[in-house]
Amino acid sequence: MAERPEDLNLPNAVITRIIKEALPDGVNISKEARSAISRAASVFVLYATSCANNFAMKGKRKTLNASDVLSAMEEMEFQRFVAPLKESLEVYRREQKGKKEARKDKDKKTDSEEQDKSREEENDDDDERMEEEEQNEEEEVDN
Amino acid sequence: SGPARLARLPLARVKALVKADPDVTLASQEAVFVLARATELFVETIAKDAYVYAQQGKRKTLQRKDLDNAIEAIDEFAFLE
Repeated sequence: MAERPEDLNLPNAVITRIIKEALPDGVNISKEARSAISRAASVFVLYATSCANNFAMKGKRKTLNASDVLSAMEEMEFQRFVAPLKESLEVYRREQKGKKEARKDKDKKTDSEEQDKSREEENDDDDERMEEEEQNEEEEVDN
Repeated sequence: SGPARLARLPLARVKALVKADPDVTLASQEAVFVLARATELFVETIAKDAYVYAQQGKRKTLQRKDLDNAIEAIDEFAFLE
């Protein structure tokens, strides 16, 4: 049962919150208007994806990356989004880097505990195996 | 919402939309994140633009017709027609 792309909606609660925060206090939004905005948002993603993919293909790359999306915004005449998006991306990158390093540090700690046999006291035999997969930079979108 | 805010839209849902495009092979996590943030900015923008019409009609409730008016009037929203 294939879903039509336009039927892939974004969560109503989140969309509503974003709308409410963008508008002055005391302003309401009808269900129909909210629904229409939600659908428009889905179409936006689809259109932006297609646009971004063109840039990836132009660059002979098979992976759509962040700069392709930024190029798509310019192409779609949403240049004013580019600066705030770049800032968000910086924060995101720092966060991701922090997560990776936290995981590395955890691994290092576990290793040194295992090697340190000279300790008198019993260490907790926490055989902490990191079962979770190393998160790749690129997530495959398999088609 | 500040520019440095992390995405509120769940990345998994955005990714599902990206996957719907048969021409897309792979998309990086960063690309999905930027798309999510861009979509949030888009929602803010269109809501504000539509609200102008509600104000003209002296209403405090945003209605479907306000959206339709904004989409018709604003070039950047032509892709929605």
